[in-house]
Amino acid sequence: MKVSLNWLKDFVDIDIDVQSLADKLVSAGFEVEEIIDKASEMKNVVLGKIVKLTKHPDADKLQICAIDVGAKDTVQIVTGAQNVAEGDLVPVAMDNSLLPTGQIIKKGKLRGVESCGMLCSGEELKLTEAEYKGASVYGILIMNGEKYPLGTDMNVILGNDDVILDIGVTANRSDCNSVLGIAREVATVLGKPLRMPEIGFECEAGDVNDYVKVKVEDTDLCPRYMAAAVRDIKICPSAEIIQKRLKSVGLRPISNFVDITNYVLIEIGQPMHAFDADKIANSSIVARRAVNGEKIVALDNKEYTLSDTMLAICDSDKPCAIAGVMGGNNSCVDENTKDIIFESAKFARDNIRRTARTLNLHSDSSFRYERGIDLESQRLGLMRALTLVYKYGYGKIAKGVVDCCNADLTQKTLRVEASKIDDILGIIVPREKMVSILNSLQIDTVLDGDTLVCKAPLFRDDIENANDLAEEIIRLYGYDNITETLMDKGKQTVGGKTEDQKIVDSVKNICVNDGYSETLTYSFTSPKSFDILRLAEDDPARKCVTILNPLGEDVSVMRTSLAYSMMNVLASNVLKNIKAARFFEVANVYIPESLPLEKQPEEKERLVIGAYGKDENFYTVNEVVRRIAYKYGLNVVYKRSSRPYLHSGRSAELYIGKFSIGYIGEVHPSVAASFDVKDRLYIAEIDLASIEKYRKKGYKFEEIGKYPPMERDIAVTVDENVSAAELLSCVTSAGGSMLKSARIFDIYRSDAIGAGKKSVAVNMVFRLTDRTLTDEEVSAKVERVLTKLTSQLGAVLR
Amino acid sequence: MKEKIESLIREALQAVDACGSIADLNKVKVKYLGKSGELTALLRGMKDVPQDQRPIIGGYVNEARDVITGAAESKEKSLKAKEAEEKMLKESIDVTYEPEDVKLGSLHPCTLVKNEIVDIFTSLGFSVAQGPEIELDFFNFQALNIPKDHPARDMQDTFYLGDEMLLRTHTSPVQVRTMLDKKPPIRIVVPGKVYRPDDDATHSPMFQQIEGLVVDKHITLCDLKGILSMFARELFDKNTKTRFRPSYFPFTEPSVEVDVTCSVCHGKGCRLCKGTGWIEVLGAGIVNPKVLENCNIDSNEYSGFAFGMGIERIAMIKYGVPDMRILFENDVRFLKSFR
Repeated sequence: MKVSLNWLKDFVDIDIDVQSLADKLVSAGFEVEEIIDKASEMKNVVLGKIVKLTKHPDADKLQICAIDVGAKDTVQIVTGAQNVAEGDLVPVAMDNSLLPTGQIIKKGKLRGVESCGMLCSGEELKLTEAEYKGASVYGILIMNGEKYPLGTDMNVILGNDDVILDIGVTANRSDCNSVLGIAREVATVLGKPLRMPEIGFECEAGDVNDYVKVKVEDTDLCPRYMAAAVRDIKICPSAEIIQKRLKSVGLRPISNFVDITNYVLIEIGQPMHAFDADKIANSSIVARRAVNGEKIVALDNKEYTLSDTMLAICDSDKPCAIAGVMGGNNSCVDENTKDIIFESAKFARDNIRRTARTLNLHSDSSFRYERGIDLESQRLGLMRALTLVYKYGYGKIAKGVVDCCNADLTQKTLRVEASKIDDILGIIVPREKMVSILNSLQIDTVLDGDTLVCKAPLFRDDIENANDLAEEIIRLYGYDNITETLMDKGKQTVGGKTEDQKIVDSVKNICVNDGYSETLTYSFTSPKSFDILRLAEDDPARKCVTILNPLGEDVSVMRTSLAYSMMNVLASNVLKNIKAARFFEVANVYIPESLPLEKQPEEKERLVIGAYGKDENFYTVNEVVRRIAYKYGLNVVYKRSSRPYLHSGRSAELYIGKFSIGYIGEVHPSVAASFDVKDRLYIAEIDLASIEKYRKKGYKFEEIGKYPPMERDIAVTVDENVSAAELLSCVTSAGGSMLKSARIFDIYRSDAIGAGKKSVAVNMVFRLTDRTLTDEEVSAKVERVLTKLTSQLGAVLR
Repeated sequence: MKEKIESLIREALQAVDACGSIADLNKVKVKYLGKSGELTALLRGMKDVPQDQRPIIGGYVNEARDVITGAAESKEKSLKAKEAEEKMLKESIDVTYEPEDVKLGSLHPCTLVKNEIVDIFTSLGFSVAQGPEIELDFFNFQALNIPKDHPARDMQDTFYLGDEMLLRTHTSPVQVRTMLDKKPPIRIVVPGKVYRPDDDATHSPMFQQIEGLVVDKHITLCDLKGILSMFARELFDKNTKTRFRPSYFPFTEPSVEVDVTCSVCHGKGCRLCKGTGWIEVLGAGIVNPKVLENCNIDSNEYSGFAFGMGIERIAMIKYGVPDMRILFENDVRFLKSFR
């Protein structure tokens, strides 16, 4: 909220500099986001009059001006501008002046003639045409007609005699969305009295009830509606001070009555509206829920269709305003308006918020209603508006006001043990300090024994309990008084991570130690990703959660796999000409049970692995999967994969028993190509819950035994399509319990072996824990292994 | 005879000493100590020695054998060591050559920060709690004292998935879930991803928060300050100071913004802290009694504090990352600098 320092001074004496004021507001809970001081950007630039122009003796394009700046002597300035004439009023940057552009002007000589400053253009003063007529003209700003005396500082002429504070008002302090509200806080932090806005007018035009009748049908949406009437008005530009103050906080002055409603909005925080009384049918104002489909053209000249959840301010025929949001064209004040009706109402906060959002129509008025208006401001606002009408003679005020109030205007009383405040804060605040702080905030407080008895004003409806009082007390008593303690009265707890969380940490460490770097990618992705991954129309992975208000289509659905994100990471690195890289990420995928969403989707934590580079292949990338399986004792079975985004010959589905836990493989070349990548990309994805579920738990001593192992190697010829896993599984099952390990140490192909065949060499280690094996026993086992390999896989011993 | 033996010893020792290899040494050993060597020859010549002299001369000969054998053994040791050394030198390699890149990856800077924060709080008895990222309006807002159509909803723009379903805007719904599930004393930290529709140099539509909650008897604002000050000293450095400024969050009352002294200039004022010497890192406060009641915890008996911070923001401060978007670019060169 932008607040003018001069405006604040109407209500409280401020005798400290603006930075100190800002610091005090910050420590009281009001963030000062910016201090805008236009005057400090321009110094020593004054209004002058060209009294004499002469040609420069040595330069055709230069002229020598004698300028009257209100002093005894004229000032001599050399200018290159051609648009000046004798008698013109101009802005004069004197010797040692500062322009808003940052330029410093000093006395100097131009082609041998002394020049004691500079004449300024609109551009050099950073003025727009809207701010000063003629500012956009190329050349010196001509200010003929300006009524200020010569020598007046340009900051005064331009109204730069104010400082604007941009203050962040938190959502609980809607009472501070006004100059008066901020002034109240300033008065408290400075320990100064608050002056209430000046109220006073005389009524000259009959009774308000002769001009308007008000009926509130939906009191839940409109707890209070006040109205007043002004007759025989004249529409004209507002008084200068009103215009200036509105401009200072970024509002454009329009005409006197519109400006008064805006002035009251900023000053008191009460949104107001002015109706043309002649356009209100039967002089009857009705606050009611709109009828579904009812239409109104608002002041922005757009038509809005209302619904029965919205409050409309109507006459006997039609809606005349969307309550709290915007007035209607059909009842607005224009140059022909004779009588007006002021509205000053309180509307339900939530309802205005919903209406403004539904219609996508936001105004300064709806902004304040959405944050909440207290029940006191309607009367104050109305009185203030009438005071301004009277003060500047804009019309004749009818006697009395209409007040349809359906709200309780009594102040709540709150009784809180003072010791409860100490308990919340952890320090003991002197009781008289508590009482004086609360009273300074206009929270009427007395001490009854050790109980604080508080009456909060209506504009502080956020004060409800001991914690609220504790906050008011400590923010003014000072947070520096809070000491540091370490939960000395609390119970000790055992902290730490869960087993699942530890597994994630450990899996990440395995990846890091195998050369993979952790990435961080968005959980949302593009629906196009499914096409890029070549997923079939009925692929379950297409069933995804959609964001209703995404930042863009490419981030509009929640991912159901980490594959696309990882491919993106790989591709972006490839395209930066990085020759090789390894990545991993642990993140959730979101699997809805049904669509549209009825319950929260399942969030599954996955590990994704990605790699590329000339030394990478299926087996190098598989290493990390094997490390994880080895660490957690997982018996992972690899089966050929038919995922559409993987290379059909170099990919596998990962199983534990019959449960799928993920996949690994080379990315399908045409999928890689859609990322503009020719390199081979490798990717794997594993469900982390499966690791937790199937892992070996804990450690247990296993007897190794002192008896020596016996090793045997065999080589067999098998068909090319017999997999290593099949062959080893055959060996292991035939080898029985004395076979401790079996591994393939060589695979060999040659013409002698024949096309479609390979020779596989297997090393077997036999061992018993309780005795030494005999040669015969081991030979018998090897024989069994060979027999089984022959019968099951058609293997031939070489 | 004695002179003869002494001269033989001198001769033999010289011969041993002159050996350049094990083979040479073996020859010398055969020459002096072998079955048909010089010493044996001397013994054979004993028959010419008078009977009474024989034991003495025999003693000289045995002495000579011991001396020569000893010398030969020590020579053998040194020759073997020399030969082993020569063999190794022949096997020498260029120890400065690095045939392949170091295979060591890295954790993301945000994970490093998260781990550090989690470690500090777990050592203080906090458990790590987690919750769903796709949340119900009730847990994300209503139970936290943010009713529908409340102006406080403007503080956190929200991605909606349906009327009641949204991407959580903060990790605070896990507070609610924990309090509904467990009885005090509660001490948790909650790391996790959160979502808000902002995208610029200091905001990302997805980012990570970590938040803490304590609910117990007699928990005060001083406890909050003590714990957070200790935390800040651990996370930044031991001279870090902490400051509270009043603020507003619907779920805490009183609410504070927590500033720490700038880790770059230590309070003197620099670009990072915009000359103030302080950096805002946390939001915190005493748990609003309404929130406790919403979670079926008696607010007359129990009180608590809560705090929360953005992990990306802390990572940017701690590691000097100028733009939040860099954290999401996933350039391997950037990531590996955090190895």
